[in-house]
This record gives sequence, structure tokens and C-alpha cells, in this order.
Amino acid sequence: MGLVEDIRDRYLDRLSPATFRSRLFWRTVDTLARSPLNRPQWKADRVSLSYFIRATRDAYLRRAPVVWSNLLFPSEIIIGSGCIPFYPEMAAAVVASAGLAPRFIDRAGEEGFSSDACSYHRCVLGCALEGFLPEPDLLLAVNYPCDSAPLSFSFAADLYGVPHRVLDVPLSGEEEDLEILAEQMEECAAAMLSLAGMDAGEGRKKMAEAVSFSNLALRAMRRVEEMRKRDDCTLDGKDAMGGVSVLAGSMGSREGTEYYRLLAEELEERGCAGGGTIRLMWMHLKPWYAQGIFDALERHGARLVCEEYTHATWEELDPERPFLSLAAKVAGHFLVGPAERRARHLARLARDYRVHGAIHYNHWGCRQSCGGAMLVKAALQEIGVPVLTIDGDCVDEREYQEGQLSTRLEAFLESLR
Amino acid sequence: MSEENAVGWFCAYTPLEILDAAGLTPLRRFGDPARLEAADALLHQAICPYVRACLASVTDGEGAGDAVVSRHAVFVNSCDGMRRLHDAWRARFPEHFVHLLDLPRNQDRAGERLLAREFLRLLATLEDFTGRTIDARSLREAALRREERRLAYLERARGSSGAARLRLAMGFQSTPADEIPGTEAGGTRGGGVPVLLTGNLLNPEGLVSVLDAAGAEVVCLDLCNGDRAFSSSTLPAGDDLEGLCASLARGYLERRPCARMADARRRADDLVKEVRGTGARGVIYAGLKFCDPYLYDFPRVQKRLREEGIPLLRLESDYADGHVGQLLTRVEAFLEML
Repeated sequence: MGLVEDIRDRYLDRLSPATFRSRLFWRTVDTLARSPLNRPQWKADRVSLSYFIRATRDAYLRRAPVVWSNLLFPSEIIIGSGCIPFYPEMAAAVVASAGLAPRFIDRAGEEGFSSDACSYHRCVLGCALEGFLPEPDLLLAVNYPCDSAPLSFSFAADLYGVPHRVLDVPLSGEEEDLEILAEQMEECAAAMLSLAGMDAGEGRKKMAEAVSFSNLALRAMRRVEEMRKRDDCTLDGKDAMGGVSVLAGSMGSREGTEYYRLLAEELEERGCAGGGTIRLMWMHLKPWYAQGIFDALERHGARLVCEEYTHATWEELDPERPFLSLAAKVAGHFLVGPAERRARHLARLARDYRVHGAIHYNHWGCRQSCGGAMLVKAALQEIGVPVLTIDGDCVDEREYQEGQLSTRLEAFLESLR
Repeated sequence: MSEENAVGWFCAYTPLEILDAAGLTPLRRFGDPARLEAADALLHQAICPYVRACLASVTDGEGAGDAVVSRHAVFVNSCDGMRRLHDAWRARFPEHFVHLLDLPRNQDRAGERLLAREFLRLLATLEDFTGRTIDARSLREAALRREERRLAYLERARGSSGAARLRLAMGFQSTPADEIPGTEAGGTRGGGVPVLLTGNLLNPEGLVSVLDAAGAEVVCLDLCNGDRAFSSSTLPAGDDLEGLCASLARGYLERRPCARMADARRRADDLVKEVRGTGARGVIYAGLKFCDPYLYDFPRVQKRLREEGIPLLRLESDYADGHVGQLLTRVEAFLEML
């Protein structure tokens, strides 16, 4: 038995819902995270780790109202309203990377959730049913990137007996429609301020601070992107992909800004390792529990130079009209609306990062991603970028066929030489 | 009806009166369930089989399974499946009229405002496409004709159940607005075990026929290709196009909801009310595979019906339903239990 399995069997499998609500547990986690034994690859990772440990601890210990939200709901609104954002989809990735997802996925199955649904959400609902997640005071979702979050949040809201709201992001992008979305965001912010016991004046101040942090983070993020476009930048996409949680969950916080600032600085200091590799783009997310596929890429001299979800896709927020600019931020996202938008975004990345090929990881049950895979493939092939589509599951390790996957991957990489 | 005037539609939230007012002939497509694999080159296999069947029916240029061969189409942004069908359709038929109509999930004032604006945008797009001006009078008249047609369906469907009722509903959706479909109602209403059938969209030749064969009397056909589109009036009131579209938006959002709508509790409440009101002794929950709104809806409905003491049977369909004969024993056992 390997070390990871040993640790899992000895410790992780014995975790109970009460463990996560104990101060001692969080002190231990914090100590381990700060210890010299934990040596993250990048200084910025220490900042994000510390941020998420603190936010998650505060959510479990109920130090402020907890708001569950999905990937595209702007964290600036939650942070700017004095609440703690909790992103269940990211929690599922953490559970998967600890190798614990199957247990919770099976629990959701017992409740009647079909195995044809997304395993991120089945995992989250299984955790919720077992009492492992921090209880929300409110659940907020936008109706993109997929149907799963608004639907599974609705079930969770009933489970916890708390309100749930879905915000409709208009397809048109017209200002009058965006104003309707902005009004809804403002209503959500007012509800959160009330939960947090803050008045409107305090709320305006906090929201202004969140907008300012978000804009600073965006500027630093653009510096990171410029560095990554260089030949063989030392930040690999398999690591950068973890930044999806920073992008979704910490915009509007001091730490979110600090993360991108430190990353930009360190990239500039370290410089580039030199060219000569096969430059690849990764589409959708990775299997969080497995490293083998990335080892295979490395063995074949290939690197992920960019990935679908971790790039800046919006303009700076207007401090005078925070909600309208946040509405525009969401509505302008490439995952909103027709897959053409997604294909355009990916084609732009492929060109900007000069990729030789691209890999589309078809996460089982993801209708938005798998559903658009053929169209994306055609769009990339049109600009001369070969695409490998591989079926798998980001969360449920039982659906992962490494041998089969490696064979296809190797054949693809051979074809790129 | 000329091919140029025919426009395909796919979701029960499509505002047919607006298409009628533009002088078009909206006809619902049901696709070709027997050739799902023909869609493999365009869509992943884990996508709604109805969506795949609709694509499959046009992959060889023949429109198998559907009476209309026009490629003009109006899609509703109701779920990931529909959005992906729109994407694939648009990529395949770039020269045709292909429109994606946004549909809010909220049935509140914000939802109404967004949908009303979306209807007005559709009107403008249709005017561009047809070269015909749509005024309040033509929209009002078209809406009135649609309301008469809705009532005609309810009249014809009275007393019929199961596959016959579903065929009739589909006939009303896939024939021109001024034509009453030839399909006769029938079925086993009266004498069978009364059940409520709920789900997304079913093939009348598949699961529904099994229910008939097992002796079920489907007293409510809560399907998106069944009674749902006819369940309530969307007849708008208003003096001008803005007013009519606002009223129409309210009408569509207040309809018996699809499981994709934000207020999921309402759907479970409606089902319980319907069971009590119709005297159904149990509920058959039958859905197409890979349809997320119904995959996430089922556990909630199951829980609610358990609390109410209403028996429930879940069945799954791949739309082609080649396997459903094997389900007969399960359905019979369920009906016996009732």
C-alpha cells in the first residue's frame, strides 16, 4: 500500500463532520500549512492556501454568514458584503484530490441522484447529506456555466432550510438587460449585508474595497499572462489549473490580489526555462486525483502552456457602478451562451500562447463542456491546432482508465513531433 | 405551407404566437430516435437523446422522423442540451434562420422583464428575416388562434390517455396552426389504474405504450411534449407590442414549470395537487437520460411524494426505447401495488 492510501485509510477515512467544526483541527491544519514541511512550488501558493484555510475554517466555525456560490458568481459581491464565499464545486475537487469522492458520490446515489449527472455535484451533495460541508446561510448561483449548480443548489437549499437564488445572466449583453442583472446582484448584496449585520454605509465601503482589490488582482493577472506567453515559462498549466479556485473564490480579497502580485513577481524573477517543448493547451479541468497523465506529458517533453479557465476574461470594474460592471464581467464570460464564444476564447488562447496541440478532457456528465467539444475541436483545427479529446471524470477516480488514456495521449504527442 | 415559411422548434417555452404573427409556420421537431448514433460526429453521447435525435434527423439531409425538412429553427436557451443543439445546428446550417431565445429561470418581475425584452428582440429579428412588419394586431390575432388551438387539443384529448393522448399532443405541436391533426384520440381512459406520468419528453411508441399495455390509465401527461404546453393560457393582454410581450412573458413563466425553472418547490407542489385533483393512485416518473433538470429534480420529487404517501416508480428512457418491453413486469408490479 502506498503512503497516500495509508494516510487516507488511517486518517482521512476517519474524519467526521464534527472534526471540521473543531478549533483544534483547524489549528493543526494551519500549523501543518505553515510548517517547513509544506514547501509550495510558488510563494503565491502559500498565500492562496492560507486564504482558503482561513475562509474554510471561518465557514465551518460560523464566524460570519456563509454563502455558497458557483464558479461564475462574482466573489467580489460576497466578500464585499461581509460574508464568506464557499464554492462547493471546488470543495469537490479537494475531496477528489484526497481520494474520498467515491464514498460521497455513492451517498448521493442512495438519495436518488443518477450516475448520469456531474460527479462534482454528486460529490458535493453526498458531502452535504453526510453533514460534511459548512452550513450555508444563503445559496447564490448564476445560470452558467452549466445547469448543474442552480439545480443542485436548489436541493441543498431545501436540505439546509435556507434561501436559494439563481441569477439570470442575459445573453444579449445589452446594457438595459445588464442593469436587470445588476439590480438582482444588488438585492443579493443587500440580503448578505443584512445577514452580516452591516448597514448600507459599511456595505458601500466594503464593496469599494472589494472592487479595488479585484482591479489590482486583474492587473497583476495580466502581468502573469504576459510572462506565460514567453517561451517555456516555468509555470506549468497543470499547476496553474489549481488557480481556478483563486480566480473564482478570492477576487475582491486582499489575498487574491497578493496571490497574482507574488506570482507575477516570481515569474519575472525566475524567467524562462528555454524553448524546445511541445506546447499544449488543456481544455476543461483535470482529474484532481491523478498525476499520471501529467507525468506522461512531461516524459514526452510536452508542457501545458495555457488552460481554459484561468485567464482574465473581463475589464476592470467601475468603482462608481460596481454592480453593473460585475454584471458585465459575468455576462461577458466565454462560458455564457453559445459554444461559439467558448471556441473563440480557446482559439485566441491557442494563438496567443502558440500551442502545437490541445487536449479536451471530457468530464463525464458535463453537458456544457462535452456538449461543445466537437465545435471547439473544429474551430481549433481550422486554425491548424490538432485536438485530442479524451473521456474521463474529474472527480470520480473509478471512471479513470489511465492505461487507455496514456496510450492515446502518447499517440497524439507522437503525431505532434 | 412552403419550406421557406416552416420553422422548427424544440422546447415547450417557444412563443409560437410570435412566429405565427411573423407569417411563419412553426412545427415542432421530434427527431429520429432510431438513429441516435448518426449524431455522434456532432455531439457527445452523454447529451440528451432528444437533442441527439433532432440532430440525427438532419445529418443525412432527409429529415427522417419529422414531416418538415426546413432547416430554419428557433431554439430556447432552456438547458445545456438545448444550447448545444443550437450550437450544432447553427454550425451545420449557417445559411438558415437560426435563433436562440433566452429564457430566464426566475418567474419573478426580473424574469418577466428579461423575457419580455427577449420577445421584442425576437420580433425584430423575425421582421428582418421575413421582411414583414409585425404589429400589435397581428400578434393579438395569432395569440387568439393559439389559444383556440390549445382549447381544441384539450377538447380532443378529453377521455383519452397514454400513448394515444401523447400522439395527439405531438400532432398538435407538429402541424401548422390552421390544421387540426388527423390523429384520433383514444387509449384506455376509464378502467385502468389511474396514474400521473411526469418527466421531460417521451416517445409515444416506447415507455408510454408499456404503461398502456400494463393497464395504467394516465390521467395527467405532465411531459414537455404532452400536456404541459397546453396546461394554461398564454393569451396576452395589452395595447401595443411592449404591453403584449410583457403579458406574454408572464403567461409563459406562469405555465406549469419545467424542472429547469428556479422555483423547483413549485413543481413538486403542483404534482401533489395534480395527484389529489385527478385521483391518481401513483406517479410514474419517466425521464430521458442525460437531462440534468430532471436528474436533479427526481430526488426532491421522490422525497416530497414519500412525505405525502404517494407511491412512485422511476423509469428511464433513451428515447428509442428498444428495451422497454422488459419494463412491463416492473410496471405491472407497481400497478398491482396500487
